Amino acid sequence: MKLTVNGVEHEIESAPLTPLLYVLREELGITSPKVGCQQGGCGSCTILVSGEPRRACLLAVAAVDGSEITTLEGLGTAEALSPIQTAFHQHYAAQCGFCTSGMVMAAHAYLENGGGTGRESIQEALAGHVCRCTGYVKILDAVSAAAGGEVASNQRWLPQPGEEAPVEVPGAPA
Amino acid sequence: MKAVGARLPRYDGVAHVTGRTTFVDDARVPGTLWVKALRSPSHNADIKDLDVSKTEAMKGVHAVVTWKDVPLLEYGHLSALGIPADEPLLAKDNVRYKGQPIAIVAAEDEETAQAAVDAINLDLEEQPPLFDVRKAFDSDAPVVHQWGNWYPHFEGEMDRRQIRKGSIDEAFDRADAIVQGVYRPAAIEHVPLETQVCQVVPEADGRLTIYSCTQALYFSMGVVAAHLQVPLNRLKFVGGTVGGGFGGKVDTATETMCSLLALKSGRPTKWRWTREEEFLCSSTRAPWHMEIADAVTKDGWILGRKMLTLHDSGAYSRFSPYGLTKHSFHHTGAYTIPNLHFDGYVVYTNRVPTTAMRGFGVTSVSFAVETHMSRIAKELGLDPFEIRLKNANRKGDTSPNGIVYTDPSTIPTILAVADELGHELPADYRTMSSEKREGELLPEHLVGQIGNSEDH
Repeated sequence: MKLTVNGVEHEIESAPLTPLLYVLREELGITSPKVGCQQGGCGSCTILVSGEPRRACLLAVAAVDGSEITTLEGLGTAEALSPIQTAFHQHYAAQCGFCTSGMVMAAHAYLENGGGTGRESIQEALAGHVCRCTGYVKILDAVSAAAGGEVASNQRWLPQPGEEAPVEVPGAPA
Repeated sequence: MKAVGARLPRYDGVAHVTGRTTFVDDARVPGTLWVKALRSPSHNADIKDLDVSKTEAMKGVHAVVTWKDVPLLEYGHLSALGIPADEPLLAKDNVRYKGQPIAIVAAEDEETAQAAVDAINLDLEEQPPLFDVRKAFDSDAPVVHQWGNWYPHFEGEMDRRQIRKGSIDEAFDRADAIVQGVYRPAAIEHVPLETQVCQVVPEADGRLTIYSCTQALYFSMGVVAAHLQVPLNRLKFVGGTVGGGFGGKVDTATETMCSLLALKSGRPTKWRWTREEEFLCSSTRAPWHMEIADAVTKDGWILGRKMLTLHDSGAYSRFSPYGLTKHSFHHTGAYTIPNLHFDGYVVYTNRVPTTAMRGFGVTSVSFAVETHMSRIAKELGLDPFEIRLKNANRKGDTSPNGIVYTDPSTIPTILAVADELGHELPADYRTMSSEKREGELLPEHLVGQIGNSEDH
């Protein structure tokens, strides 16, 4: 079996019925998809198969033999975040971070498919993704901001070496 | 003070959104063995026989650990504070809750480990279980703990947390009405997205490296060192990255057992609970039973409160005596009541042991108190905001345990809620502040309780 993961082709040695999640994590060492429930219920293992969000825990690797897989490692890098990654960072949509990989992948697919800023359609796109920290509001804000083009793709919002952290004080003179 | 009021980037934000945060489950250690536990299938039973010989002989099984292998079997979560221990790391003579670990194995992979657990011979003699915290006090209730059905080791070997303030009898004699209520919030599972997980690596120098998802790293270090009877410098904890805890990762759930298996097998070990284990066997927020009787005047002053609290600790004590202590200090909520008679018990049942969860011990009493305030208003035909504002803590008022409030925030909070809801208030209520009581806001029954913050 073969998989193309984040643009790199791999020969797969795991047994055909091994969940894709285990193949990614244990055979290929790609750990952004998380083991949350192994029942398709939490969404933290979500990856893209040919651009569509799927639950890696419920997919036998044989069922996706030859496919193009994208994980969070395949979006932007720390130096050049993608718009949805920037939006999650700037809107504090990641707290403990455990559900974040799956959330970002589902949100990325939503944007790629032309999803808009409407709250209801974002909720629909993220249905089945469980987050216990944020209460979802910040996640919805982040996706909405990215859909509205309010974030630049390469914005890091992190101090460069030798710089102080950027500080925005609400109400302070510019 | 540059950070106060500022929007600062999360220090771990970029790592989270790029998938580069290393959780415990993401550590990659070659040669790692998988851990599984034999858990009690019964809520309450005596252990008649436990035989692991068949399991130890199985191919792919590298270590099996039972109570016999634990250097210090019982070490309480509050032992460091001098509170006696009551819970064995692995069950010895009996099991007290469904899911309690009895034996643990380390094997080549997850399937082999599960097969090894299934091959353990366990013989139990069922005992009647107890699930309701209130029924623990019934005369025909089964006794489910070696100390009886409630914790007997508060200071001075008292069997309850007790508060007495003012004169409760006088308050009830003077009351226009007595308002009573019973409040029973249920158990809540924390449901962190990351289940309990631990990786332990036995190093060449004899130390153990412990990758832990604990919320309380140094505390867990002490617990592991005590059970293993090794000095702290034999343990290197790697932690601080927690995939959600909410209090559910304060108890040391996996680190000690993974360490014992790593020492016995000489191999790295890893234990990741399934979602089913997390729901069935991990600690929860406690269920509570609270009875309140308030002596009130017809114009809405609370003269006195009698309260009984039963805190369901589950099968063992863990942190519950601490949780009940916090609860007792807060049993008047954000309001000032000068005459108090409070009794609180940490009660044992055959539920999973309960633990901290967001506002340990206090959310239960806040729920009860706020519901009760509305009940008083309803029974007296008064406005629920006005009765709260009247009795709200002000500077100089004293808490149930005698602390003088110096900066209470009750009144601005209630006014803000009224504002948000568009709830109309008379001018004398709308302009209330947290300043010291005087005039009509200092009726006779509150005079004696006013304190001086400089005394503390």
